[in-house]
Amino acid sequence: MAILEEPIKQPLELKNYINGEWVESKSGQVSEVVNPATRKVIAGYPTSTADEVNAAIQAAADAFPEWRRTTPLARVRCLFRLRDLMEENFESLSRIQTQEHGKTIDESRGETRRGIEMVEVATGIPSLMMGYNLEDIAAGIDEYVIYQPLGVFGHIAPFNFPFMVPLWFSPFALATGNTFVVKPSPRAPISQTRLAELIEEAGFPPGVYNLVHGGAEAARIMIDHPDIKGITFVGTTHVGKEVYARCGQTGKRAIVQASAKNFLVIMPDAAEGTIPALLTSLFGNTGQRCLSGANVVIVGRGGASYKKFLDEFVEATSRIKVGYGLDESVQMGPMQAVDGKERTIGYVEKGIADGARLLLDGRQLKITGDYPDDCFLGPTVFEGVTPDMAIGREEIFGPVATVMRTASLDEAITAINASHYGNAACIFTASGRAAREFQYRVTCGNIGINIGIAAPMAFFPFSGMKDSFFGVLHGQGRDAIRFFTESKVAIQRWF
Amino acid sequence: MLQTTSEVLSFGRKLEEDLAGFYEELSRRYGKDKDIWLEFASENRKYIAQVERAYYGVISDALEGCFAFELDPDKYNFTAKLNDTASYAEALKKTIEIEEKMVSFYTDAAAQSKALMADVPRALALVARKRENRRAVIGSIFRAAA
Repeated sequence: MAILEEPIKQPLELKNYINGEWVESKSGQVSEVVNPATRKVIAGYPTSTADEVNAAIQAAADAFPEWRRTTPLARVRCLFRLRDLMEENFESLSRIQTQEHGKTIDESRGETRRGIEMVEVATGIPSLMMGYNLEDIAAGIDEYVIYQPLGVFGHIAPFNFPFMVPLWFSPFALATGNTFVVKPSPRAPISQTRLAELIEEAGFPPGVYNLVHGGAEAARIMIDHPDIKGITFVGTTHVGKEVYARCGQTGKRAIVQASAKNFLVIMPDAAEGTIPALLTSLFGNTGQRCLSGANVVIVGRGGASYKKFLDEFVEATSRIKVGYGLDESVQMGPMQAVDGKERTIGYVEKGIADGARLLLDGRQLKITGDYPDDCFLGPTVFEGVTPDMAIGREEIFGPVATVMRTASLDEAITAINASHYGNAACIFTASGRAAREFQYRVTCGNIGINIGIAAPMAFFPFSGMKDSFFGVLHGQGRDAIRFFTESKVAIQRWF
Repeated sequence: MLQTTSEVLSFGRKLEEDLAGFYEELSRRYGKDKDIWLEFASENRKYIAQVERAYYGVISDALEGCFAFELDPDKYNFTAKLNDTASYAEALKKTIEIEEKMVSFYTDAAAQSKALMADVPRALALVARKRENRRAVIGSIFRAAA
């Protein structure tokens, strides 16, 4: 199979987008964005100065009163145009994700589609943002609720879904009449820059949407800034806790989506299609997603049945083609960065040291195509893992499957609930009763039943519990609309 | 083996384009039934668009896009060339053979893609079904030519 054409042929010089203008940073500090598969430099992004971050926030604050007064219908006209532009640029947007992140082209297209779906749901704001009322709460007195936008919202983006994750929030914020500042991940800032270009083309007024590049310092400025009313953050639990605490101190709303250690429970009556679903869950996006499966819990299978299932799973895993995501035959791309690969290898070594049995060693890898191996790591499978081992307990964020056994579903649920993470859990079974029991008792925000990636659609909230989520309302769906609006209650009487 | 959705669709696109070229060649070389062959060529390109539209409309990173298929391309590959001396009947026979391979490709792909969003297997199955009709048309032309 041929390699699909790269949309980025020469390194890009990324700029900030502030108040409707593309502005070069004055910091003089430029860092490289490297394609993890080819190791070619594909862009340079600036570390924005404090003044530049503040200017973006100021622009958003200045744009808010007028944008708020813009009718919901007019606001969503901009979103409709954005949606059309995203469709027109679907393929190049997808290939950019593969170039900057490494994921396969099918995965990137899936990410683009999900991003577009967020915009599509947000275009329903004229209906979705309606309040409610009741006549005659007392004689001749009516009472009603109005949902009003709050002002400027900020988003601090992760690297693993550089296009989609900011779209869990921005379309809802904009549609409800707020203004927005996004700080893309410095590891993968190109997709958001391209999106900002489309936002400009869609005709959003200057200042309504702003983008500033930078690292932790830019994020801190956003979190502390008094003009920002709320922050959405997707990243690690360690940083997420800090973000959430700081938002509390500065009186901001917050949606903080954090780390995970997701369990995939395989019941004895699991159907044949389970293995492809496991491969997608465990190794899709090279294991770098908060909904990835990690611990595979095989419940109550007898010796021969357990071995047969495991052999089939390991055999299928060993055949996964690893290479550059723009090669259409590739099923798993590289890790996004060298340090991610090193961290994952560290966990593989810990697993061996802790006594887990290594059934498939991703360090021994044959890459499809001629690419430097800096970021490539094959899928790894461990057996005999227990929840007290580091590889069974901590988020690895790489292509490592850790197989556990339990005698019963009850034991599996106990193990899941003992984890301090609670992002997702999935069960594979033909039993409705087992599935219901699982759904009822598991303390995780997103439940998959014969689904390996329990990713909520745009019109449902992206949930999360325990150390995987900090906040009250979630991104996406009605939760997002509530998050980005304040409920104002009016009681009226006319004499 | 073709395993990812993207490569299956690209493979299908290549088959359709090769076959469209073959039909255009038929229309040029034999003149007879020219309009039917040109119509088929145009339909081939429509099928590509139809299947790709379904795929791009529903592709999700959360389903098994990279692990849905296990298709052997050799089973469906064909040579879209005619001997210089091929008679019209020989050309028609080859056409029927190719169309049978195309039906197999779409039928197998539809069966294997059931775990993907429903639009994809539905679009693949629809093309397979339409090809059944096409085979009947070619069959009647073949019988008339023979």
